[in-house]
Order: sequence, then C-alpha cells, then structure tokens
Amino acid sequence: MTDAAAPLSTADGRPLKAALAASQTRARRRALALVAPLFLFVLITFVVPIGQMLFQSVYNPTFADAAPALRQWFDDNPPGAAIDESAFAALAADLKQMRAERTAGAAGTRINYDVAGTRSLFTAAARRADSLEPPYREAILDLDAGWGDPLLWRAMRSASSPITADFYLAALDLTRDQTGAIVQVDEKQRVYKLLFGRTLMLSALITFTCLLLAFPIAHLLATLPLAKSNLLMILVLLPFWTSLLVRTTSWIVLLQQQGVINNALVALGIVGADGRIQMIYNQMGTIIAMTHILLPFMVLPLYSVMRPIPPSYVRAARSLGATSWTAFRRIYLPQTLPGIGAGALLVFILAVGYYITPALVGGADGQLISNLIAFHMQKSLNWSLAAALAGLLLGGVLILYWLYDKLVGIDNLKLG
Amino acid sequence: MALPAYASPLEKLWHYTYLVICALIFLFLISPILIIMPLSFNAEPYFTFTEKMMALDPEGYSLRWYDSLLTFGMQAPDAPRDAAWWGDFWRNAQWMQVTKNSIIIGFFSTLLATVLGTLAALGLSRPEMPFRRAIMAVLISPMIVPIIITATGLFFFYSKTGLANSYPGIILAHATLGIPFVIITVTATLVGFDQSLSRAAASLGANPRTTFFKVIMPLILPGVISGALFAFVTSFDEVVVVLFVADHSQQTIPRQMWNGIREQISPAILAVATILVVISIALLTTVELLRRRSDRLRGISAR
Amino acid sequence: MTTAATDDGFVVFDRVQKSYDGETLVVKDLNLSIGKGEFLTMLGPSGSGKTTCLMMLAGFETATNGEIRLDGRNINMVPPHKRGIGMVFQNYALFPHMTVGENLSFPLEVRGMGRSEREAKIARALDMVQMGAFANRRPAQLSGGQQQRIALARALVFDPALVLMDEPLGALDKQLREHMQFEIKRLHESLGITVVYVTHDQGEALTMSDRVAVFNDGRIQQLAPPDELYERPQNSFVAQFIGENNKLPGTIEEIHEGRALVRLANGELIDATPVNIQARGQQTLVSIRPERVEFKPEMMPPGAHTIDAEVLEVIYMGDILRARLRVAGSDDFVMKMRNTLGQTRLSGGTRIRIGWHPQDARALDPM
Repeated sequence: MTDAAAPLSTADGRPLKAALAASQTRARRRALALVAPLFLFVLITFVVPIGQMLFQSVYNPTFADAAPALRQWFDDNPPGAAIDESAFAALAADLKQMRAERTAGAAGTRINYDVAGTRSLFTAAARRADSLEPPYREAILDLDAGWGDPLLWRAMRSASSPITADFYLAALDLTRDQTGAIVQVDEKQRVYKLLFGRTLMLSALITFTCLLLAFPIAHLLATLPLAKSNLLMILVLLPFWTSLLVRTTSWIVLLQQQGVINNALVALGIVGADGRIQMIYNQMGTIIAMTHILLPFMVLPLYSVMRPIPPSYVRAARSLGATSWTAFRRIYLPQTLPGIGAGALLVFILAVGYYITPALVGGADGQLISNLIAFHMQKSLNWSLAAALAGLLLGGVLILYWLYDKLVGIDNLKLG
Repeated sequence: MALPAYASPLEKLWHYTYLVICALIFLFLISPILIIMPLSFNAEPYFTFTEKMMALDPEGYSLRWYDSLLTFGMQAPDAPRDAAWWGDFWRNAQWMQVTKNSIIIGFFSTLLATVLGTLAALGLSRPEMPFRRAIMAVLISPMIVPIIITATGLFFFYSKTGLANSYPGIILAHATLGIPFVIITVTATLVGFDQSLSRAAASLGANPRTTFFKVIMPLILPGVISGALFAFVTSFDEVVVVLFVADHSQQTIPRQMWNGIREQISPAILAVATILVVISIALLTTVELLRRRSDRLRGISAR
Repeated sequence: MTTAATDDGFVVFDRVQKSYDGETLVVKDLNLSIGKGEFLTMLGPSGSGKTTCLMMLAGFETATNGEIRLDGRNINMVPPHKRGIGMVFQNYALFPHMTVGENLSFPLEVRGMGRSEREAKIARALDMVQMGAFANRRPAQLSGGQQQRIALARALVFDPALVLMDEPLGALDKQLREHMQFEIKRLHESLGITVVYVTHDQGEALTMSDRVAVFNDGRIQQLAPPDELYERPQNSFVAQFIGENNKLPGTIEEIHEGRALVRLANGELIDATPVNIQARGQQTLVSIRPERVEFKPEMMPPGAHTIDAEVLEVIYMGDILRARLRVAGSDDFVMKMRNTLGQTRLSGGTRIRIGWHPQDARALDPM
C-alpha cells in the first residue's frame, strides 16, 4: 500500500494534477486545432468588422484633421475660456486651410450634426477665407454673426477631439449645452428614444402574438401521433425555408388596398369599395408580416419541449380528480415554461434587429431602429451616428443573447 | 386527440373550437406562400384574382410574367427565339445574371461554411474541448446579431481592406452568416453519435483517419448535408449585406427582388417568388428525407 | 496485493494508477498478471474501477501512473488501433451503416488483407457463432442476441490473442444470457485465446472464469479461482459481495494454530478460522455461508461450539428450505436446508441449537 501515503502525486514525485494535465493537454490541443480555423475565420469576418464599427462610433477625426489650429487653441485654453482674438485667428487659419484642401464641407457637416444649420457657415466663410485680415474677430463676425454663437464654439471644441461620445449622446436624444453639461434635445427633435421605444414595444407585441399563435399548434403537433404531426409540421417548416422576400411580397399582395383580402372583403360586402382598410405600409403591416415570419421560431422550441412530456402526467392529474382545465393549468403548462422562455427570447432577439420586412411593408410608422441605422448609413451618411445606434442595439441584443445562453443554453438551439 | 366518451358538452365545444383555431393558424402560416402561386399566372398586371381567374377561364391565366423574367434586360428580346436569342438571354437577361451570381456566391460560401463548420463541430463535441461554451457563443453569434449591424461592420471593414464590391467579400460574409446553421445541425447530429463506435473501430485496428472517413463521416453525413443546405439557403436569401457591400456586378436574386418590390412591384416578382417557393419545397423535402435517414441510423445505435 | 506483479504474464498491470480529476484515484496501485489462454474476470460493483482498468488495457484511457505490458512489451504509448486487442462492447457498437459482413470485413480491410482471404475468414467467424446466413443483414434487422453474436465474431475475426469483453451480456434477458455464457466459454476453450471479462454479475463471473479479480474502491480485494473465492473469501467485502452470507460481529477471545474462539455480543462463544485477524481482543466479523449451518448434532464435528437459535420463519423455495433465525440478538441469520425426503421440517417459534465446522466460519476484518 505504497500509494496511500501520497495519493496526490505520481510515483516519480510529480504532482498528480500536473501529470494529469500533461496527459490531457494533447487531447485539448487537438480539439482546439479543429475549432481554430473557424474561430479565426469568424473573428476576422465578423468580430473585427463589428469592432471597427464600434470604433467608428466613438472616433471621428473629420473636424480635427480639417482644423489643426483650432485644435491647438482648444488644447491650450480650458472650456469656459473667453473666445478672444486668438481663437478667431486660429479659426481664420483653419478656414484658409479648408479652402486650400476643400475640407470645409466635411468639417461643416461634422459640426452640423451637433448644431443644426451651421454647415453653410463653414462653406461660405471658407469661400472668402483668403480675404480675411486681422483683427480676425471683427472680420469673421462681419461675414456672419452666427460665428459668435457659444453653442457653435462648444461644438467645435468637442469635435476637435477625434475621440468623442457625441454620437452616443445624439443616439440617446442628448446633447451638450454651451457649458458642456448633458441635456435633452428639443422635444421636436427627439426621434431615437421614440424609435428605440417603438422597436421594443413592437418586438414585445410580435413575441406575444407569436406565442399566442404558436402554443395551440405546438400542442396539437406534440399530442398527435408522429406520422400525422410530421405531416402537419411541413406547414410550419415550409414558411421557415421560404425566402424572406417571398413571404414579405406575399403579405404585400394580400394586404394592400387593391389586394386579395381587401377585394374579398369588398366582394363579401363587409366593407364598401371606398372603405378599403389600410393594412400595409404601416405598423399593422410590420406586425402581421413579422409575426408570420417569426412564428416558426416560436413553434419549434415549444414543440421540442412539449413532445417529450409524457401524457401520463395529465392522466395522473385527471385520476387524482382534476378537471381537464386544472390538469392543463397546474400540470401541463408549468412543464412547457422552458419552451415558452426559449421561444419568446429567440423571437424577441430576432424581432429587435429586424430590417427587411419593416423596410418593405412598414411605411412611416412601422420602421424599427435597424431601418434608421440603414438610413444614416445610406442616405444621411452620418456613419458615426449609425455606428452609435448600432452599438446601442448590439449591446441590447448581446444582453438578451447572454440571458438566452444562461436560461436555455446555446447548445439547445434546434432548427427543425 | 380523440375525445373520450365522458367529455362534458363544454369540453366537446372547446375541443372543436380548439381544432378550428389550430386550422386557422395553419392557414395563416401557409396561405401567404400558396396564394402567390396562382397569382403569378395572372394575365393582367394586378395582384388580385380577376373575375376570369375566379371563373377558371384559361384566358385569365398566362405565362407572360414568366416570359418577362426571361426577356428583361435582353438586348433583342423580340428577336425569334433561336440559339442567338438564348445566347443573348444567357449573357444579358437581368434575372439570368443575378441567378448566376446567387449560385456562384451561394456555392462557395456554402462550401466554406460547411468545411470549416463541420471541423469545428467535431472539435466542439469532444469532451476535452476547453472554453466550449464561450467559443460556441461566438460562433453562433452571426445568427443572433442583427443583420444590419453585421452589414454596417462589413461596410467599414471592406472599405478599408478593398473587399468591397467584390465576389470574395460577399462570399466571406455569406459564409459567416451560414456557419451558425452548420454548427447547430452538425453538433445536433454528433450529440446522437455513439462514441463507442469510434472506439470499436480503433479496437479493430483502424487508425484515426480511417475511423473518421469510414465510420464517423458516413454517420454524420445527413447532418452535414442539412447544415450545408441551411447555409446555402441563408446565402440565397440574403439581401442586406449585398445592399451594403456589393455593387452592380454582384447583384443577387434577392437584391433584384428588393429593387422590384421597392420601385414598382409587378407580378413578375410573383413569378420569381413562385420559383423560389418551388425550390424551398425541394430543399425542405431533401432535409426531411435526410433527417429520417439520420434518425433511422441513430435509432439503431440506441438499441 | 503488495507483491509486485511477475514479469512472465501475458498481460501485466504493474503498479497502475488512474485519476480523472487529479484528486481522487479511481484505480489505486493495481498489480495483476494474466497468463496466456486464461479467462480472467474483473468483478465488482459500479464505480469500483474495473471498467477503467479494461479501458486502460484497450487504450481508451491512459494510465496516470504505472505500466501496462502485453506479451512483455510496454503498451502505455501504443494507440488503441495498434494494440491488436479484440473488444466486445457493452452496447455491441456494431456500425449501423454497414452490413454484418462489412462489419466483420472492416478489421481485415484496415489490415490490408486480400478479398478472398477476407471472405474465408468472415465465413469462418460467422459460422463460429452460428450466424452464417446473416452476412447481408444490417445490424438493425437483428435481435439483441444476434447482435451480440456478431459483435463477438467481429472481435474474433482478426485472430487477436487477447479479447476484452465489457459487460457484453448486460442487455440480454436471463435465459439468453446463460446460453451466451456457455457459448463464450466454448469459444474461449476452442480458440485458446486470453479473455479479460468485466461484469458486475457474480454468477457470470463464477461460472465462466479461470480466475476472478474482485474490485472495490479502486483495488483488487481478492484474486482467486471461483471456488476459492466462494469458500475462502479473504475479507468481509468479498465474503458479502460473493453469494449469501451470515455475519456475526464479535471479539477474538483466543487464537492459536489456525483456530479462533470468538465471543459474540450476547456472550456466547463460537469457533472460527481466523483469516485477516491476528490478535486477541480484536473486533471481528464472523462470516458463515447459510448452507454450511447445521442444526443436527450428528452433522457437526466433535467438540464444536453450538449456540442457541430461535426459528422465526421458514420459506419454502422448492429445492431448498430457507429458515430465518434469531441468533445472538440478530434477526436476519439465514440457514438453508436441502429439501430431501428425510429432512426435518422446522416451523416458526422452534428453539434449536446450531453449529458449523470451524473451517466454514471465517473470522474477518470488521470492515
């Protein structure tokens, strides 16, 4: 019994844990080597681009590059310092450089994000920059009295640093007043919070309708004999496999004013020819189409939880004297909760980031936050703001994803 | 679901109401997909059933929208349909070009996603795999992260690396989007894989390579093919990334549909949609058959 | 157990240890030497380390420490597929996508054997397990017993000198199991192979083996032929794990020349053979097989100690009668009597005196 004295070390004196770790290392390395190519691939094609986008949301060097003299002046003078001749001299120098390098438009656009209507100040002043003579203060204020606005100077100070939180503030309908304190923007200009709110609300509503529609059919599928339920399952899986654009197109065809449903309603005399219901290009269109598209993501997790529930539980409850309703409520329903949680979280996560369907059938009031990101990427070209909005959306989705992993486990994700 | 003889009238009423509700929900699921099929044969440029169609009058139906798919973009669409016409179609017809693009991009991105995804799934299913959960979370995330965020990130990334407006750029992006589906289906197959089979192969003298190709691969192949089909469909249906990082020469079928729906929606879109639905049905059937085959093989090892 | 394993065995475990977590040892200092042609069974409750030992021998687990030798060669660093050891798995592990013939052909193909030679070997192996007609079936089309035979044939088809079997009969019903025990034994004898067999079924171990290694808590408790294991258990664990046993706790009163006098809890004295007990005053557990307990004075050796017992109930079991007795304060003392023509029929409440040959009462460690 030589081993009893030192059960934690091997015969040659090495700690057993270390010896064990060494014998496991090779196996671990082999497993890692299999995963490594894909992990690197996803890192490069997915994680790095998103990291770059997040960087873009806090990094915008447009103005800092175009106005080096002002940048220097802001560095030398603390916030609150008087905007004196030296500041205007720096501005004049930068305007001349902007004229030479044709960057006035870009610099003006950057300031315009923070203080509306200021882009023209830059383009106009840069056009006449060469005629500016000292004293610069009078000369520039003569060009446009707007240059004296402290809000403008505050915005220029903030923009002169390439690293900025301005875009996140803007994405939350916040801005800085002239003292630099964070305040809400005018009520008329508040759009993003409203849109975040609408996105959450519509996603919650869509999740709820999905649950409402999915529960009965998942239950039916789970209780029917396998041959029949496999057949009916095709009705769930076919939409799942059908192109998103096809399904969205179908809803346009069905719901539009001259569409199948309105025509049928008119033909049946339920509504008059001039009373056709507007069911698409508004929130209703978004809700109906997205419920249809996301419904399979609710049915499948529910079904995979319901199918293995043996009927003997409900039978036992009935034999113990419960009515069918009580047996359902007290015995069956609690056992389906994991499926409800998994389905609801999945549908909600997917709904929050939806883009295509709202863009096509949402009209004005059926747009979600994704559509606004696309708008800033493609139309307004305020990429930093788009990145900031995307950063906020990503943060929310990742929290939900983490929650999903905690509650359901990614391994339990199943498709069909 | 048969109703017992002792059911009360209320229970009976509820039972039939429940069945009707289920039928309606199934109708909600399937009818949008089925309704476009007859409408795509509409002889008129409307999105609704004309009186002639309702009367099943052959004159109410036509193939004109399918024909417009062929001719759209051709240099001489009205020329006689001889070899030259088909050559023109092959080279110039818009839908032909986007179909080629979709197939090229779909094929290569599927290949990439399937090979890398299957290898990774094999690693992930080994018990000694470290950080399994965290790595899995990263690999699945392209499915969870909103597509608009992925597209935005790729837009910035590609404009810096020169991958924008190129086939490799879109293929890489679509492969990334397809990977989660491959991982999910292949790991699900491997969960049911009886590890003692590979031990048995080793004890019979097979080296790890032979074991993989002769024993493991044939058994997980149905799962791998299902995953590949999922990845292909993902690429075949993807429009947002294409919108953001592709230019005119890499347009795909969904990108062309997107234009059609946004600008002036014509029943030609319904013709495309019908063709896509037929393809989906074919793919779904394949996956179902593979799943049954896989279940059959697995049922044995469970015995 | 502390004696080092001899080097002349066909399979040798030399001071082998195994730990999965680095903190607890699943196999503790295993020394075992298996001779060529021997049928050795590893018997023990689940978690006793027997399956781990088999897996280390097959190469699916690595020994944390120590050396495993096959035919004089250290095989610690030899991967499983180069060991040439046949193995029958608990769930058979027949490849479901291959026919029976292809399953058997697999080990021959990977050895690069020619087609005609393969076919001859497959046919011979299938005939050996009386499954010659099933070469083209798939495993799914076979019954459990048939799958078992194919698994056996597959493990033997490439003529391994050593075959490992991991609870191969666990999934079969009782009748089929007994039949297959006989078949395996027959194959072992006719082929002259070495078999290492793992089971938790003691009946299986006793009927099939040349020697049985009883495992518990990561150690071999006793390594002996079946009859010795049953009649001369070396400690309390083995005594209780193999067969039925009566246990009487007591203290050693006297001990000399292979005889011990034990004082039971109620003060009575009985005779016993000391096994792993050395000195006076030590606590002990005396174990007696129920069929060696006698109540007729003429059946006992002269001068044997007898003690009082009260019959609590007698159960009729066909071939035997089983009496539950109250002895020295305990209520679960069992005595078995053969159901012969002249047998005295006891009934509940009867007071008798029981005794035994001192050889049959073994004074063991109190666990």
